[in-house]
Amino acid sequence: MLLYSKLRRFALIDGKGRRAKLIDFIVELLPEGYPRVTHILFRDSRRKQEVLSWDAVVSIDHVGRNIKVKDVETGELAPEEWLRKRVLLSDVHDSMILDLEHLRAARANGLLLKEEDGDLLLCGIDTSLSATLRWITGGRFGYVPKATTHDWAAIEFLRGDPQTVKKCMVDGEGIAKLPAGEVARLANQLPYMHAAELIMLLPDALAINTLEAMTARRRLQVFEELTEQRGLRMLELMAPDVAADLMGTLQTETMQDFLDRLPEVQSKRIIDLLCYPEHTVGGIMTNDIVFAPMRMTIAEAREKLRERLKEPDFVYLIFIVDDEIAKRQQGIVPIRYLLTADDNQTLQEIMDKKVLTLDALESADKASFKVIESQLAALPVVAPNGQLLGAVTVDAAVLQAAPEAWGSQAPRIFS
Amino acid sequence: MNKEVDPKELEELETGEQLTLPIRPRDLRRSIRVTIRGRSVRLAGIRHIPPGLLGWLLVLGPGLIATSAGNDAGGIATYSSAGAKYGYDLIWVMVIITVSLAVVQEMCARLGAATGRGLLDLIRERFGAGWAIFAVGVILIANGGVTISEFVGIGAAMELIGVSKNLAIPLTAGFLWYLVVYGNYPSVEKIFLAMTVVFFAYPIAAFMGHPDWVQVAHGAFIPKIRWESDYIFIVVGLMGTTITPYMQLFQQSSLVEKGVARRHYGPERADAYFGSVFSNMMSIFMIIATAATLFVVGQHEIETAADAARALEPVVGSAAKTLFGIGLLGASLLAGAVLPLATAYAICEAFGLPKGVNLDFRRARVFFNLFTGLIVIGAVVALIPNIPLIKMLVWIQVLNGVLLPIILVFILLLINDSRLVGHLKNTRFYNFLGWGTFAMITFAVVIMIAGQVLEPFGIHLFGGG
Repeated sequence: MLLYSKLRRFALIDGKGRRAKLIDFIVELLPEGYPRVTHILFRDSRRKQEVLSWDAVVSIDHVGRNIKVKDVETGELAPEEWLRKRVLLSDVHDSMILDLEHLRAARANGLLLKEEDGDLLLCGIDTSLSATLRWITGGRFGYVPKATTHDWAAIEFLRGDPQTVKKCMVDGEGIAKLPAGEVARLANQLPYMHAAELIMLLPDALAINTLEAMTARRRLQVFEELTEQRGLRMLELMAPDVAADLMGTLQTETMQDFLDRLPEVQSKRIIDLLCYPEHTVGGIMTNDIVFAPMRMTIAEAREKLRERLKEPDFVYLIFIVDDEIAKRQQGIVPIRYLLTADDNQTLQEIMDKKVLTLDALESADKASFKVIESQLAALPVVAPNGQLLGAVTVDAAVLQAAPEAWGSQAPRIFS
Repeated sequence: MNKEVDPKELEELETGEQLTLPIRPRDLRRSIRVTIRGRSVRLAGIRHIPPGLLGWLLVLGPGLIATSAGNDAGGIATYSSAGAKYGYDLIWVMVIITVSLAVVQEMCARLGAATGRGLLDLIRERFGAGWAIFAVGVILIANGGVTISEFVGIGAAMELIGVSKNLAIPLTAGFLWYLVVYGNYPSVEKIFLAMTVVFFAYPIAAFMGHPDWVQVAHGAFIPKIRWESDYIFIVVGLMGTTITPYMQLFQQSSLVEKGVARRHYGPERADAYFGSVFSNMMSIFMIIATAATLFVVGQHEIETAADAARALEPVVGSAAKTLFGIGLLGASLLAGAVLPLATAYAICEAFGLPKGVNLDFRRARVFFNLFTGLIVIGAVVALIPNIPLIKMLVWIQVLNGVLLPIILVFILLLINDSRLVGHLKNTRFYNFLGWGTFAMITFAVVIMIAGQVLEPFGIHLFGGG
């Protein structure tokens, strides 16, 4: 195992004894395997920055602290696009990493390399304070603690620049394998630019879950740093109530632009929710609910609702209405009833009729307690004429009723 | 409180398109009308900060707390010493520093909002591990010094109340440590904060001391520079205690914690500006109150906390000592707990190490060692017998002043990096004020150090003092 902190102090020396000052290594990030050092960046005798292919390396002399190359003179002036590649010092060392093994955010305080078949590979990261000591002493002091060294495969590294994420990230395989809750927890440990970078990297479903698990403020911070295309995609897939909360905090022109460009169904759902003030039932309800007319038979209902049930987040209750146009609330049918009832029965026969309903403009705080006390997964929200508008789920009610700091209980006084 | 809307206030919408939304109140406050897909809709669920006074009051918080934290034991000692020794002559320094403080604090708030990261973390990422270690060293010395001054303040306050500092300091150190690590610190913090309300007596004392307001105005707006080592020394001390490095750390971290998105930063400026002006007005009143009570009677040296407390006598009479003691204790306890915690957080953040009082000792060893170490050092140094309390407090503020330009350079370089802060980069005017502040403090520090260094060689830069 080679320490980067030590190796970067080595000198370049060629067969004719000419020496050059090593500046850094350029690595190629690959979708799989360890990143390989492709070039050496060095300063020539005229003090110009040049690059030399790694193929020109003969050997690494650890005792003499130098890297032997064929001919220093064969170096080429470093072109801009080469310098934009991954230079270890400026781009990997010091960057923020996600330790997928211990599920925490950390910093790459030290880099570990190894020689394999003539190649120099970046194989690991050291996150300990000891690595910093090694850094300032050129690798002379400071041990390598096993507990804080991580294999390259067990980390993701982030640069805090969501707009260039495609060029920077290794790939999303590692973190994408984690459960959504863990990803959300990891994302919450990150500064928001890094969290935005992570959202850019994750597959859609996981990105949505991660965004939805954030507090409203953080969601706004992260969302605003996404590319327009990614932001639009997130809004399209997001639960309408969460999307409406987010849209309500965007600048008016940005909100208008997104609402114009979103698919019509999602745009309309969001607009409907945005019509209600923040502290009313309408402000915390979701209108992405499953409803069916009361005269429908169980068999018909199962057939018709099969596809619909795949879409919304909230599927534990089916709201029963008089017909699909007037949509006047009549009762509720839990999924269990629907699965256990006879095919020939109608929804009207099995529905719970005595369900408390909420007014869209009543206080969100009071209504939340009604939802919690009802012991139901949600309560329907209706207009004065009885029309079903949406539902307040127990999740939304608990979030509304709980103290504001409840969501981030861990004392994070300073970031 | 949320007010329920009377159903009578509702009206039905006639448009068929809004079938799922047949109702809305007649008078929806704070709603906006927008056109989406060619259709005009009124949206009431908009959550923007309201314009005007209400919006301004809503953003107040971190800036006010960060800058008010500067009025701690060291601050009181320095302002009192300035008032007692030079009367109203140094108020002009405070007027200039108020502008500088507002600019520096606003830049830090902007950095926090633009990056979502603390100052040391940014230094680490932008300048690399070497510079981060250097900055950590500077912060450790500066914050370590202020932590010492807080424990000195605790000892002095307890002695005013009649408790020996030899007993009070170790007990308080243990209490603060336990409170932060195991106890319910946020609740007790409110008590500490309430104790500092005593210092609101300073503006009253300033008026009741019947100062010569013409002289006050003269001192505030017509700079009177004395070429004396003590004068330069106290000027650097005033700069160091008013624009303390930990206030910058605190301001930036608070904005990060508040979760302000960079496109919504605008209104937050008001908080940094208001906090700076409010806190420095309090500091100026401390100088005026001390000048009006001590300077005018010829007491130019403040040796003990009891001397400083005399400035409050016009308001509370013989209870001045006790009340001053309570205020000083509150301010010192507050900073004595927060400062080591903030320092440990910032350092661990820079190196990506586990941090937070909710973690156990094995997982966050460096964090807890730093926190504990700072408290222990603060308490032990404050226990040294026969140390000149007030002089030591002023010296620590001077040390802060000396270290301040280093932190300022980092802040100015970071806030001008458009890759990092995007459109929140400094304007030319801000750069002028920022670099001007740096130049002013650096000049004062260089003059002070040069005077001290050249003195043994027989070169006298200053005329007296």
